[in-house]
Amino acid sequence: MNLRHFITMLALVGVLPSVAGGDADYVPPVPGTYNLPVIKPAGDGEVIDSQNHSLHLRELTHGRVTVMSFIYTRCAATKACPFATGVLRQLHQESQNDPALSKGMRLISISFDPAMDTPQRMADYSTLARSERPAAEWKFLTTRSQAQLQPILESYGQAVNKRANPNDPQGPLYHILRVFLIDANGNVRNIYSSDTLDPRLVLADVKTLLKERGGSASNVPAVLR
Amino acid sequence: MNNQTSLYAGRARVCHFASAALALTSLLLISHSAKGDETCSSPYMARIEGQEEFVYVWTLGVEGLGDGADKLVVVDAKPGSPMYGKVIYSKSVEGRNEAHHGGFTDDRRQLWLAGLETSKIFIFDVHSNPAKPALIKTIDNFEKVTGGAVGPHGAYALPGRVLIPALSNAKDKGGRTALVEFSNEGNYIATHWLPTKDTAGVAGAEFADGYGYDARVLPRKNALLTSSFTGWNNYTRNFGDLVKDPQAMKQFGATMVMWDFHTRQPKKVFQVPGAPLEIRWAWGEKHNYAFTATALTSKLWLCYEDENGQWQAKEVATIGGQGGVLPVDISLSADDRTVFVDCFGDGKVRVFDVSNPQQPKQIHEKQIGKQLNMVSQSWDGKRLYFTSSLLARWDKTGDDNEQFLRAYSWDGKELKSKFDLDFTALKLGRPHHMLFGATNIGS
Repeated sequence: MNLRHFITMLALVGVLPSVAGGDADYVPPVPGTYNLPVIKPAGDGEVIDSQNHSLHLRELTHGRVTVMSFIYTRCAATKACPFATGVLRQLHQESQNDPALSKGMRLISISFDPAMDTPQRMADYSTLARSERPAAEWKFLTTRSQAQLQPILESYGQAVNKRANPNDPQGPLYHILRVFLIDANGNVRNIYSSDTLDPRLVLADVKTLLKERGGSASNVPAVLR
Repeated sequence: MNNQTSLYAGRARVCHFASAALALTSLLLISHSAKGDETCSSPYMARIEGQEEFVYVWTLGVEGLGDGADKLVVVDAKPGSPMYGKVIYSKSVEGRNEAHHGGFTDDRRQLWLAGLETSKIFIFDVHSNPAKPALIKTIDNFEKVTGGAVGPHGAYALPGRVLIPALSNAKDKGGRTALVEFSNEGNYIATHWLPTKDTAGVAGAEFADGYGYDARVLPRKNALLTSSFTGWNNYTRNFGDLVKDPQAMKQFGATMVMWDFHTRQPKKVFQVPGAPLEIRWAWGEKHNYAFTATALTSKLWLCYEDENGQWQAKEVATIGGQGGVLPVDISLSADDRTVFVDCFGDGKVRVFDVSNPQQPKQIHEKQIGKQLNMVSQSWDGKRLYFTSSLLARWDKTGDDNEQFLRAYSWDGKELKSKFDLDFTALKLGRPHHMLFGATNIGS
């Protein structure tokens, strides 16, 4: 599958409510009516953006509420990367109509296939994020090598394996779909999989974190007395 | 148009396109669906591709038997393997902890095994060498970090984290308890105490007892359902003494709770008397229901969404006729048509046709042993594995204290023995929870 076809598929997936959760049948929560405890600090590591500039990931996981998706552009599993990028695309489109989201949210698509996903390929992939109106920042990142990538994957608990069949129609890599919600202080506050990556939930979570900015999250448990 | 509405604004315009895409997606998902995994595993978990190769058995140590310690036992389940049906590895942990249930992380790289008495959780790496899991971490401060929850019951995979329903609390060691979350790295995240009569905003709160046992999610309904058992004081007590104590026998759960899963907020309490234990959500795309069995009243219950979109719970069958057979573990087939009910009291498994979930019909029963607790079923419904131990102090005594793992095939009509392992003769202990392992993990 070439990148043009791939992006066409993404565009299609992006307008669906959710492939895995396409039959999601519930009312999403009202932002700010629930808590999102800190799961762990967001990991750091050296990355490169689609203009081939080096930077540290932590520069992009602080200061805004960040939704970060691990992907690889050769993935053709409809329940995985195309789906995740489709959801980020929906969030990006949503931010075009919402100044608070546009200023307060950041989107990151980061590849775990550095050999194939060069900065140029990520730049091509980033055509998804084009918008004529102000919208949330969407970064497309990769790494210079597997050695640079590995500690990032480990810090986020992102499992990636080669498939036994490199010509598998779903793509050569097997991975758990992981999308991370990171608060402005650099803490992971939610982790989504294909079964929970409902754009309505992610949006409610982003707005919940935007509402608490200035406050501090606490994981001190309520003690039974 | 508000933001949440506008997210779906394009849906109508693309309905034909979307239908075609979804149909294609369904075909892709069907063609790649795993066939070997357990039917009761978390929907958030990576699946075995092909058939299970190993059965991991969380086993209670018995004083004077072997090393006397709790252990993870690995049984070869590969068809054609020269070691098929044999123990190929075991790894002991420190002491006896009332080994009970466990579960994998969502990436299936770790197996978490819990001890009800000591509140320790043992984390094994089952990825590096699935045939020889390695103990990599022990959580030994569960009570402290959770704010007083004790008796971790099992581990249920959520994305990047593990949900642990506890059974008791440190304050009085009764049945009030909590759901606890840890990250896959083994770090504490949150405690959610089960609702009580004082909990605001919960329908049926007047029935709430605060007890817990199982916790399972139906993702597309954002529904988390919990059940209820009893506290540390009871499950660590000699069963013969316990049943003679009327006050203690009142300290059993009689509720199930429906939660908003995403917010972890309890929404509705159901009266389900008699200690509702294992919860099994149906898998069908339109099947909005779950089964449970009540241990003390020998009933099969259905928790379902009614025609008005409201969750309800009702008794749908008696298990084993009158008198009570102490139903414990249950297993729902992946096609939602068959429920296997293990009965500790008489050692039989009873098989129900639940193709009409409102009217289960028993279609088969078989004597598996003199006592029977857990059952694990393969995704294709062709293989079932049974173990014997309930709790160290509740198991039968003398000749009735059989301790086994027994594997059967199921053809839709009857169970046929495939292999039988005597855990006492093998000096291993009391086999409890079984989980499937494999080298090929798919989507």
